[in-house]
Parts: sequence; C-alpha cells; structure tokens
Amino acid sequence: MAKRKSSSSLMGTVLDDEKRRALIPLCCSLSMAAHCSPSSPFLRHDNAGPSAAVFAFPASWSADDWLLADGARSPFGESQIDASLFPSIKSVGNDAAAAVNGAFLRSFKKVIDASRLQAEVHKAASEKKQIVFTGHSSGGSVAVLATIWFLEQRLKLDKRVDQVDPLCVTFGSPLVADGVTVHALQRENWGHCFLHFVMAADIIPRCFLAPLSSFKEEFQSILHFLSPKPLSFNPKPAASSSVAFYNNVLKNALSMSNHQACLLMGCTNPLLEVLADFVKLTPYRPFGTYAFHNSESGDARLICLKNSNSILYMLFYMFQKAPEEDLEQVAHRSLEEHLLYEKRIKECLDVQNIVFVDSSEAIPLSSSDGYRDKAQPIKRLLKDLDLSLEGRLYLRAAGEWENQRLKNQAKVDSNYIKIQEGLSFLKDYRSTCEVRGLGYYDTFKIQKDVEDFNANVKRLELAGLWDEIVEMLRRYELPDDFEGRKEWVKLGTQYRRLVEPLDIANYYRHSKNEDTGPYMVKGRPKRYRYTQRWLEHVEGLPAGSSNESCFWALVEELCIDTNDNKPFLEVKSRVLELEEMLLHWVTGGNLGRDVFVSDSTFVKWWMTLPLKHRSESCISKFMKSEEDMLEERSDQ
Amino acid sequence: MRMDGRIGAERCMFETSHVLGALLASSPLLTQAWSHCAHVNAAGGGSSFNVKHCGDAVYVAFSGAPQTGALSSSSMASGLTSGGFFDPVPIYTAGHNLFAPLVGGEEGDDDAEAGRPMLVHAGALHLFLTFYHSSDFQLLISETRNKSVVLTGHSIGGCLASLMALYFLCSSARPNASSPASLLCITFGSPLLGNETLSRAILRERWGGRFCHVVAQHDAMPRLLFCPMTAMPPHLTTLVYNLMQSWHFSMHYPQFSRPALQLTEEQKAELSQYISWHISDAVAAADSKQPVSPYRPFGNYALCSAEGAVCIDDPRTVVKMLHLTFVTGDASGCIEEAHICYGDLVEKMLQNSQSKRTMRQFEEEEPKSNYCAGVSLALEASGIGIQDMGAMEARESLELSMYRRPKLNSASLAIKLAKVTPYRAQIEWYKASCDGDMGYYDCFKLRKAPKRDAKVNLNRIRLGDFWDELLDMLQNNKLPHDFLKRDKWVNAAQFYKLLVEPLDIAEYYRCQHHKTKGHYLPHGRERRYEVFDKWWTDDKEELAERRSKFAGLTQDSCFWAKVEEARECIKDAWSEKNPAKLVKLWESINAFESYANGLIARKEVSVDVLAPRSSYSLWVEELKELKLKQAAALHPSFRLEQPEGCRKQSKT
Repeated sequence: MAKRKSSSSLMGTVLDDEKRRALIPLCCSLSMAAHCSPSSPFLRHDNAGPSAAVFAFPASWSADDWLLADGARSPFGESQIDASLFPSIKSVGNDAAAAVNGAFLRSFKKVIDASRLQAEVHKAASEKKQIVFTGHSSGGSVAVLATIWFLEQRLKLDKRVDQVDPLCVTFGSPLVADGVTVHALQRENWGHCFLHFVMAADIIPRCFLAPLSSFKEEFQSILHFLSPKPLSFNPKPAASSSVAFYNNVLKNALSMSNHQACLLMGCTNPLLEVLADFVKLTPYRPFGTYAFHNSESGDARLICLKNSNSILYMLFYMFQKAPEEDLEQVAHRSLEEHLLYEKRIKECLDVQNIVFVDSSEAIPLSSSDGYRDKAQPIKRLLKDLDLSLEGRLYLRAAGEWENQRLKNQAKVDSNYIKIQEGLSFLKDYRSTCEVRGLGYYDTFKIQKDVEDFNANVKRLELAGLWDEIVEMLRRYELPDDFEGRKEWVKLGTQYRRLVEPLDIANYYRHSKNEDTGPYMVKGRPKRYRYTQRWLEHVEGLPAGSSNESCFWALVEELCIDTNDNKPFLEVKSRVLELEEMLLHWVTGGNLGRDVFVSDSTFVKWWMTLPLKHRSESCISKFMKSEEDMLEERSDQ
Repeated sequence: MRMDGRIGAERCMFETSHVLGALLASSPLLTQAWSHCAHVNAAGGGSSFNVKHCGDAVYVAFSGAPQTGALSSSSMASGLTSGGFFDPVPIYTAGHNLFAPLVGGEEGDDDAEAGRPMLVHAGALHLFLTFYHSSDFQLLISETRNKSVVLTGHSIGGCLASLMALYFLCSSARPNASSPASLLCITFGSPLLGNETLSRAILRERWGGRFCHVVAQHDAMPRLLFCPMTAMPPHLTTLVYNLMQSWHFSMHYPQFSRPALQLTEEQKAELSQYISWHISDAVAAADSKQPVSPYRPFGNYALCSAEGAVCIDDPRTVVKMLHLTFVTGDASGCIEEAHICYGDLVEKMLQNSQSKRTMRQFEEEEPKSNYCAGVSLALEASGIGIQDMGAMEARESLELSMYRRPKLNSASLAIKLAKVTPYRAQIEWYKASCDGDMGYYDCFKLRKAPKRDAKVNLNRIRLGDFWDELLDMLQNNKLPHDFLKRDKWVNAAQFYKLLVEPLDIAEYYRCQHHKTKGHYLPHGRERRYEVFDKWWTDDKEELAERRSKFAGLTQDSCFWAKVEEARECIKDAWSEKNPAKLVKLWESINAFESYANGLIARKEVSVDVLAPRSSYSLWVEELKELKLKQAAALHPSFRLEQPEGCRKQSKT
C-alpha cells in the first residue's frame, strides 16, 4: 500500500485520488450542458462529496471567437498576455513576456468583465470549497485562463490561506498557452492543477498547430458541424474540406514534432536554424497532465503524460493515420471524436486503465525486449500503441532533456558553497576597506594594493559562476522552478548587493562608459539584472524597484553630468530621487553606511551641490555628523 | 574498438540527421521549391529564371536547362568532350570582385589549403556572370530586398542558385547592400560546384546552413564531377552526353514521355561503376590529399530515398555517404530516371512521413543505445538497408562525424572564459603598475623585471591559446549558431584584443622578428585579431560622443606597431641620402604624426602612451630632433649632431 502511495505521489494529479476522480464525470456532463445554454457565460454546480464549486464554460461555435480578425500579425493568433491580469506569467530572468491565444483571451475577459464569475468564485473560495473550472472545446481553453487568473488572485490576496489548489479539467480543448506561459506555470508549481482529456484522433486540440491562414476558409463549416445542438440538423461538412483540414493539421503537427525532436536531440546542424526562418511553427505548448483516450486495441485506456515535449509528440503520433486507412474516413473520424467525450471518458476512469508514460527509462527501444517487471504495463501499452522506433527515441530524448536539466541544476547547486565562500572573502575585503578609511567602492576603484587586485580576481571568479547560471536560464536549460527557489534568490541578492558595486567601480575606473555608454544602459551584466528580477518577482515588488546595488552607477552618472557644468536645476529631480532612494535603502539596511565616508565619490560630489539644497536634503542628517566632525577638526 | 567513456556519453546522444531530414521533407519547402523548378525548366522561350511570391517568402528558381546565351544545354553537354563547361576556373575569373569577402578571407588562413585558389566550374560561373550583367539581375535584387528568399534550381540551375546565394551572402557583408532578410538555397540533383577551398570558406563563414542540396539515391549528376572529366574514356563521355541530352528533353517537355535511350545494361553498369569508383577515390583522397578531381561538396546534403532523407553538413561525411548510397541497391537500373524524378521523390517522402510506421525488422533486436537506434533510422532514411553491404561503413562514418562534432554546451565555454579572465586581470594589474613610468608596452618589451614579465608573458600565451581554441571551434561549427549575436563574447574579445595585442607587438619587436619577417602589421599579426576586428565593427554603431578623459585602453590595438614603423622611418631618415626616398619617409612620418595626434586629441589612447619614457614619447622627441636637423640642413649655419640615442640604435 505504501508503495502504491509513493508512486502515486509521483504522478501527483487528480487521477490518483479516488474522491477527486469522481469529479471528472461531473465536469464532463456540466461542460456539455453548458453548450445548451449559450446565453449564460458559465454554469455552476456545487458538489457535496468532496466540497467543490464547479464552473463550466460553454464553447463557441462561431469562427470569430476562435480566430481574431487581425490574425495576420501573429500567424497563430497568439497575443501578449496582460501583465495586470497575469503578473506571474512571464520568464523572470529573461524578462520575456508570455503569449496566449488572443481570441480565447478576449472571450475570457468578456466573461470576467460582464458576469458574476469573479464574485461567485471569491465567495466559494472563502467558503473553503475547492474551485474547479471546466469546459469542452474552446470552453476548456477559457477554463484554463480562468484557472490561471484564479491562481494569480489567490497569490495576490493572501499567501498564507491554506486552501486546496484549484482544479482545471478540459475536454478536447485547443492549445492556448505559449512556451513562456508553460514555463511560468511550472515555475509557480501550478502545472498539477490542469488535467486535459484528449480523444486519440480528435482534431480540435491540435488545430492550432497549423497557422490560422491555412484553415480559415473551411473552419466555420467545420465548427458548424461540431456544434452539439440537440434539435437542429448538423450538415456534414464537405469531405474535401474535412480532408484538407486534416491533412493540413497533420502536416504541421509533423513539422512541429520533427523540429522539437531536433532540438531535444541536440542537433547542431546550422540548417535547422535556417529552416526555422522559413517554416512557421506554432508557439503553443501543452502543459499540465494530458490523458489521451485510446481504444485501438479493444480495451479503452487513458494514456497519461506530464512532460510537455512528450505530449506534443503524442498529439502528433496518435493523430496519424495507419497506411491502410482511408483518408476520408480518418478525416471524418477526427471531427466526430470531438463529440464523444461524455460517452467515452466515464468508462475508462478505473485505476487499471490509467497508464503513465513519462520517465525515459520506462520506454524500451524495442518491442521484444526481455520482460522486466517494472516496465511491463508500459511495454504492453506501447505495443498496443505500436509506437515506432522514431516515437520511442523521441520520448526518450524528451526524458533525457528533463534529466539533463536536473543534472545541470545539481551542478549549479554544487557551486552554491563556492559562491558563499567567494562572498565571505569579499565581505572580509569590505571590512578591511572600512578600516583603511575610504569605503568599499572607492578603495576598489583606486586599485592601489594587492588586496584590491585579489578582490578583483575573486569578483571575476564569481562572475564566471553566475554567468554560467544565467546562460543556462537564457536557454531554459535549468528546471523551470529554479528561479522560484528561495535559497538561490537569497544568494543572488546577497551577491548582487556585495559585488555589483565592484563591477561598477571597475566599469568607471576603466571609463568604459565612454566606449559603451552609461553602466545602467549598456554595461550592466545580465547576472545582476537576473538576480534583481528574481527578488522582485518573489517579493512581488514592482519592476526596477530594488536596484540599490546600482547606487554607485547612478552617482557616477550624476557626477559626470554635474561636472559638465550643467545647471543644478537640470539634474535636480534626479538628485532628489537618488537621495530619497538612498534614504530608503540605508534605513532598510540594503545599502551600507560606508557610502557616507567623508572622501567617498558620493560625498565629494554631494558637497559640490548648492548649500541650500544640501541643508534641506532628506539625507543631510547623515552628512551632518561628518560635517560637524570636519568643523570640529578645523576648530582645533 | 570503443572506449567505455563513449558508451556512457552515448546515453544522452542522439543521431539527428534523419530527423532534420524528416523536418525538411514534411515542410512545404521542398514541394514548393520543386514545383517552381519544374515550371522554369519547362518554360521555353529564353526565360532562365522566375520569381514567385508564396506567402511571406519569395521563391527564385533557375532553369536546369538554360537555352539562351552562349552556353545552351547542348553546348553544356558537348563541353564535356571539348573541355570547358566543367573546367575548374578561379572564382574571380574575368576580374570581377563579386565574391570578395569569401575570397579575401582566405589569405590569413595559415593552414595548408591557403595557397590554393578558390575554383568553381567555368560553365556555371559563365552563366552567372551573363545573368549578372543582364537587366534581369537588378529586377531580382529589388524583388528580393528584405524578404525571405528561397533560391532554387534543378541540375545546373542549382549551381546558378548557389552562386546567386553566395553573391547575396557576400554582398550582405558590405555596408548598405540591399540583400534578402533571410536566405536558403535548395538545389535538386546539381553537380558539384567548387573545390575544397570554397567548401572551407563556406564553413569558415558559417554559411553551410544556407545551402541544402537535395540528392536522389541513384542520381549520377551530383556525383559526376568526382570523376576527372578530361580523362574520361571517350565512350563514357558520349554516354554522359546522350544522357544529358535526354534529361534536357524531358525537362523542357515534361508532358511527353522521354525518348528511350537504348542504353544497354552493360553501358549503364559501366558508367555507374566508373562514377562510384571515383567517389570512393575522393573518400580516400580526403586523407591523402591527392585528389583526382578538384571538386568537393559544401553546405548541407539532403540524401533522399523513398524512406526519408538525411541531412549532413560535414563535407567528408557527405562524400562518403554520396558513395555508399550510390552503390547500395541497383544504381545502374535507374541511372536514366534518377536525375529527373525529384517531383515524385519529394511527393513520396511527404506521403511516407505522414503515416504511421510499422515496426520494422531491425527493431526486433534490442539496439545498444539511443544513438545506435538513431543511426539505424538514419541509414534507412538514406536508402541503405541495415543488411546492405555499405551499412557498416556508413554507420561508422556517421558515428565518426558525430564524435568529430560533439554537442557543445555553451555554458562550459563560459566557465572556461571565467577561468582565463583572472589572467587578463593580472595583465591589467601589470599595465596599471607600469602606466606612470614607461607604459606596459615598453616595460614588457624591455623586460625590466624578468620574473614579473615572464609571468605576464605566460598569461599572454594562455589567453592566446584560449581564443585560438574558441575560433577553431567556431569555424568547425561546434558553437551555438547565435554565438556572435551575444554581446558578451564580442565585448570580451575586443577587450582582450585592446589589452593584449600591444604585448604581442612588443614580443614581436623584442625578438627582432621584424628584421627577418618584416613589420608586424603586414606579417606578424595573429589571425584572431583580424577576426575580432571584424566582430567588433560588424557589431558596433559609431559612438560620436567625445571622451572626457583618456580611454582605459588604447582604442587602436595596433597603435604600437605603427609607432615601431614610424620610429624606423625616423631612423632611416637620418641616414637616407636619396631625396626621393626621403620624401617617401617623410610622407609616412607625417601620416603617422597626424594619425597619432588625432587619436590623442580624441582621447582614444590610454595614459600609458603618453608616459614619459614610452616608445611614443621617445618618438616625439626623435621627431623634434629630426626636424631640427632638417631645419639645419636648410640653413647650413645651424648645425646639429645626430642625437646620442638614435646613433646607438642604428648600430644595434
């Protein structure tokens, strides 16, 4: 029993909890029922079993709600996500914005603006009910956005409230989120809230693998056929248009999976990059758990995957036709299966019908491999699926890619202590600077003694360690949740506050500002930009608010401007701003008081400011003591 | 014999040539490109190319059977016998300078290939130049400006497309050139175009990914130029001539059935024997450097069979695979059709890639690793069955190319850079300590403090090794493709150059190399510095702002070499009696003076240049004295002896 538990926690989804699994048929019926009352923006059902409030969104059967009219600008209809609604959905260090399907985003915003959804969800949440969003077809895509929205709300309102995570269950929903969105969901550890059911041949979950322009014409007639109105007559779309639609989506799915395979397998041929310029590939990526319904070998089974790359492949693989099948039939089936969820899902929710296919070890290269117990259910399944060698290699590569990311993380983690040692070395250096009387920044900038040189070498060593991390993040070669790890955010902040002043000193010592422009604009290394964004993201601070480590760069630039004999009035606002921030940082303990050492660049510059300004300044109290001391000294 | 480490590494290694091939086959690119090629082939009446807009891309297709101009299809074929069409000629024949960056770049190359001129075959070059001088050319330039362009062509049309692509790539290196935003060249069954020098230059410029040569398994045309065309037995030449005639007929009239050629089985077999024999010769020649034919492949080859395609970009592996695929199966049986069957081939590949694969025979045996399994698939896609004769050899050569080009973790390079940066810091430290007195250039040159200077020298050498290794990897495609787009590396290289090149110059003059080899600038400069110059200027927009104080490092890293040359001029001027030569000397002295004054006025030199005892300060003194002497010569009453310093130097 214990063993079973450990393996199920590995899966970590709704599917391994019997009680919550009971919610799935309910979600499915409610999703289908929502279609029948298209006038209401959502249906609600409160479940008593596990206490839950289920919200179901109806799908739209008008092509306008699927394809934005101005889709020409983004070939797959993606549009940038609203940072106000979804502040966490971005790549933190890379500062990359996320995109989701623009048409579904618009539908979601309509619901949230014009209905009682917001109020009802908050009320249900305050009653400690589990919140479940669900939907079939495009309704499921709206449900996904609603779930992300709710997760964001919960983060904003109160982090301490111990509430069950919300749940999102979709049936045959098209892809809605791009790669950055998926990365962000994984980072926030929200991926496990999503469960998507996909029939093996259903075309709708795959349709956005193809560029919108390639199926715009036939799409309305296809949606018309799919709309499940019980009483009206659904005309069959012309065979030619369903075949064209099927072929088009299949071809794009194939290109996508081949391209992804090249990336996962580490292809170094430069042709790959050139081809990407010419072949349009979808930005959308699957996330969460996908449960593919497969009934090829007689027994209906749910094949479950969590690895986004593997899901992408399965979306293609199960969609292919066998060589002997009739194209027209296959194309028609790909439409019909979109309407079979209610009938088919219920019958295979038994535990023994659910198989997880994820870790690369589990996928044997050959079908006649000697029988190892552990791999057996999967082997049987793969045999049922008749997964080709290409497919097996793809899934293994996807697994290896994840393994590699974990390995990279282990390697980075092993540098943690090295970085700590480097920091403590520089901390010692900082205290010797204070003893030497000129402050940390200026002592380093002058580089007079061998201690200064050693500190410079240490700075460079640390830079190497951090640059490596940044480089891996830039290429998404670390696990998605890396940037959310508290210990690294903390170390990054320590590093930034301690070492960035040295980088600035070095920059202005070599007057690199004259080659490449001000430090803040061109010279600031990524390692500091990244670590600053980490902190701001984790603490929920506004972007750019914690650049205390750049204090000296701001000072240097002001020095340059005032030395150019610019009138004080011109720089006054910047000076005031700097002084305010300085006060804030020094009182908050984020910046050392050595700033105020009498011969520091800052104090020397500040003393050149007009007397009137100085006496009224918010930081004059720090300076006062220094000035008094000077006066005292001259008195003696 | 394989080592254990290899097996361990193989776990996470995958063969990707067939996956890339599948991506190519599944994309609309090949079908599109082929339909344009077929269209332009069939279009008679003098049109040698056509331009079609397809979605966001522009397709430019060149005819594989051009009828116009001095070289009609028949003369191309007859050129086989008379010699001419496939003769290798230098790419700059006829005095044009269209491929300048490509040809120019080769001079600094210090490997054994450097001396060999870049050759292409005369016919293709002639066709291209004719096209270049026609009015159509400007039309093409304006149609493709800032677009995504696919250049394509069947047979000889592919050679034309390749030259056009090279022209675009070369011209995009020039400022204000109007060139396509993105470019891909797809050829179908085209003969080889250039020699090893061209192939290397394309690797060096990292343009290999821009070329994709689609080759059918038994097409003789892309393999023909491995044979020595001039030494071909006459009856085979006639055979080839007849074949080409018949191919051209079916290109022009695809609607008619091709006239039967009546080639006997023996003839076909002999021809394919002859070709395969010479490719295998070329495989061997890759090692022994005694090639029979000068032609070598460049760019990517997509070797296609009905089962799929493999894309290979390593030229050596390409030659090997061109051979092995050709000898597998019945080459002679389809030698007539293979060159004109690309339409069917492209269609079949697409169909096959879309339907589910069934489990195949070789899957019955458990493959040793992901990599082995991948190679089996690649072989199958290339048309070599696992039981075929060439399978073992092909497997080995694919594996070899894999190991020759390991997957590079760019992060590991960042670590290496971090490791050598402290060496750089030590040199910086050294420079700072010398700045006040004579500057680090002269300190290092004179080796005043042997122990410290030796350490600096060691650091200098280590840094040079690091950057050489990096350039080497870059050239051999071992680095990520966007490498040069990363500011970090461009900046690091520039900083390195500015700091360390003066030491290289100092070392050069300290060892008196200029006495034997000539001055540093023309004869002693390391190639890496020239490459870094190029990175920096490519990357940089001019910064107009004036400096407020002297730069941290002198912005012209060759400044000291110029100082050395100028000092020699002054020394020579003291003793030069010939007035004409003296004028020359003064010209260069004055040129240097205004150059140096300009640098100093713009504050683009570091303080060490102006240090009281630096070579530059000495030069300024020497110039003053020389001018005094000149003045004295004009006014004989005013006499001055040659100063002590110069006299001593002229003795050494």
